[in-house]
Amino acid sequence: MDNQKYIEELKQFIVEGDDEQAGPAAQAAIEAGVDPSTLIKEAINGPMDEVGKKFQSGDIFLPELIMIGDAARVASDVIVPHISVEDLDAASGGTVVIGTIQGDMHDIGKNIVSAYLMATGFKVKDLGTDVTPKEFVQAVADEKADVIAISTLLSTTQPLFANITKTLVDSGQREDVYVIVGGGPVTPEWAAEIGADGYGRDAADAADLTRQVMTAGKKAPFAKPLVVGALKQ
Amino acid sequence: MNKPEIINILDRSQNGEYCTVKEWDVKRIPKAVKEKLEKYELKGVCDPENPVNMDAELADRFFKAGYEMALDLGMLCETTDRVIKVSDEELSEALKKAPSELTVGTGEDATVIKTRKPSDAYECKFGASLGITISEDVWPALTEGIARQEAVDVLEGGSLKSIYGLDVIPDAPSETLVGFEQAKQHVEIRKKAGRPGMGGIGQISAVTEYGQFGGYGIPGAFPTTDLSLILFPSELKVNYQTLHKVVHTLNVGGMIFAGSPAMIGGMPGPPEGAVLSCIACALLQYPVLQADVGGGEIYDIRYLSNVNRDGIWALSVTHQALSRNTNLLTHGIANQVSGPGTKELLYETVVGVSTIAVSGASFSTGPRSAGGKLDDYLTPLECRVCAEVAHAASGLSLEKVNEIAKALLPKFEDSIKDPHIGKIVHDVYDLEKFEAKPEWQGMYDEVKQEASDLGLVL
Repeated sequence: MDNQKYIEELKQFIVEGDDEQAGPAAQAAIEAGVDPSTLIKEAINGPMDEVGKKFQSGDIFLPELIMIGDAARVASDVIVPHISVEDLDAASGGTVVIGTIQGDMHDIGKNIVSAYLMATGFKVKDLGTDVTPKEFVQAVADEKADVIAISTLLSTTQPLFANITKTLVDSGQREDVYVIVGGGPVTPEWAAEIGADGYGRDAADAADLTRQVMTAGKKAPFAKPLVVGALKQ
Repeated sequence: MNKPEIINILDRSQNGEYCTVKEWDVKRIPKAVKEKLEKYELKGVCDPENPVNMDAELADRFFKAGYEMALDLGMLCETTDRVIKVSDEELSEALKKAPSELTVGTGEDATVIKTRKPSDAYECKFGASLGITISEDVWPALTEGIARQEAVDVLEGGSLKSIYGLDVIPDAPSETLVGFEQAKQHVEIRKKAGRPGMGGIGQISAVTEYGQFGGYGIPGAFPTTDLSLILFPSELKVNYQTLHKVVHTLNVGGMIFAGSPAMIGGMPGPPEGAVLSCIACALLQYPVLQADVGGGEIYDIRYLSNVNRDGIWALSVTHQALSRNTNLLTHGIANQVSGPGTKELLYETVVGVSTIAVSGASFSTGPRSAGGKLDDYLTPLECRVCAEVAHAASGLSLEKVNEIAKALLPKFEDSIKDPHIGKIVHDVYDLEKFEAKPEWQGMYDEVKQEASDLGLVL
């Protein structure tokens, strides 16, 4: 099989959300000598724009998006160890710790963002729902995370977001990690108030925001949060 | 224990079949939806050009499919990863035993919520507002302003951001404190507004069960003649937080008002899938949560709303399915996105709330001004408008409300994804005189006239 066919086969398994076949297909491509960075770019990251458009237009829904994200993650786990250190930064978007804040069991937004991030090359540690500030901060250290992404659908949980940035500052870790926030009641003004580095209005914005904070060329904390998707007066 | 059935439910939450949340969400829910949509020929039936459903047979088919889905799936307790299934006998018994009439409040200020059918002349009752976050210094006057709106039947009010200057934090003692303090103030406000027996909904400021423990059914707090609000996660999931609230409400002899949204674009997928999930969830609230009033809530995650065409269609089919085939007391919410001081908020209200009322829901609450995103973006005026629409739409025909929806949707649907957030309460409403400022009042007068011209007389 020529290299392009390996790429197309892996791409197909990923867009179908077949995480059982994606791993073996990635392994077969690597063993056949397909360049790992090319595999990431063309078989995983490449289709994601189309996947994103289909999700936005309602041609696919959240379960499919999650399965596509899972398939992408399984394939990435096989491919990434074969990428040279020089090419690794280009291939990997970074590590993101994500969760819904303590007191909130809503997970839809978080699940969409996780799926998008995994599918576009980020390593994602999903902490689930009802995550305490202490658990978020601990996960940053455990995962050597580049970004904390916090979401909520409940306005009553917002004081806890400030607790996270405060704890990071008090523990001397604030400069090591970007903090991005989003979810129904969250606003850019409030993101600025708690010292977040970025605000995304919806799940699609969050993936774009994650990339932007990581490639902004600035250390955390930002003087003003990057805003993707502002509210209209 | 006046509802011993809950003991079996608690046992199943500990000992039911094992299933992870991911398996539930990504495999079981979509698989069940797909099967039922195929079996009952419900794929692709959403009609955005006629957003208010007028096909009774379609609603009845959705009901059958949703009932079957309820029995096939049950509900997942996500704290324990255990499935709480109910038998056909248990489900039908629970639906029979559920009340078809409920008095909320006391004396002449009380509201009687009743079973309704589509186009029922008995009014759909309305509770205001949803739990939009309100600053501690604004909350008393704003809540009193809402209570003073004669049209509003039941008082909920916004949620308190802080209590005595202390941030209300999940799981912290501040939740127990706000549960009680908000309840105490709530009861006093009803007296101040001249409606001492007005029914209330508690409690909204705390997310965990501590708010209920501190504030419902204990002396000085929300009385058991008020509704105990118990929200739970989508899709067909409960957890210990939910079950604590249920048991506490039963312990004190209160009334359970439950709800959870089925998400268009989420695990059930398309609008048709969300309708199925919503019907199944609405039915299961009666045996699993011992609900007195159960929620039939729809939310479109692509729009963070349900006043778009797909959302309106899904709301109408869900409530027609439930009201035509049961005698349950059901509840619906119109999820507006525009803010106070915008005409769009009023149009969204007319279309959303009239759909819920005409489709046979017993009760509705709202508004979700500015999508519930911003502190203090709520005024008593839109609370009143919601209630007026709920009452006025109640006796209309489905065809008439569909015409109204079709006439008004073009005025706001393009802005749903990127809505105008409007203005903070003080900019558009005088909380000392309890009246809207001229600009906001003027918008109401214009939209009221437009609605009247279309056949909805507020």
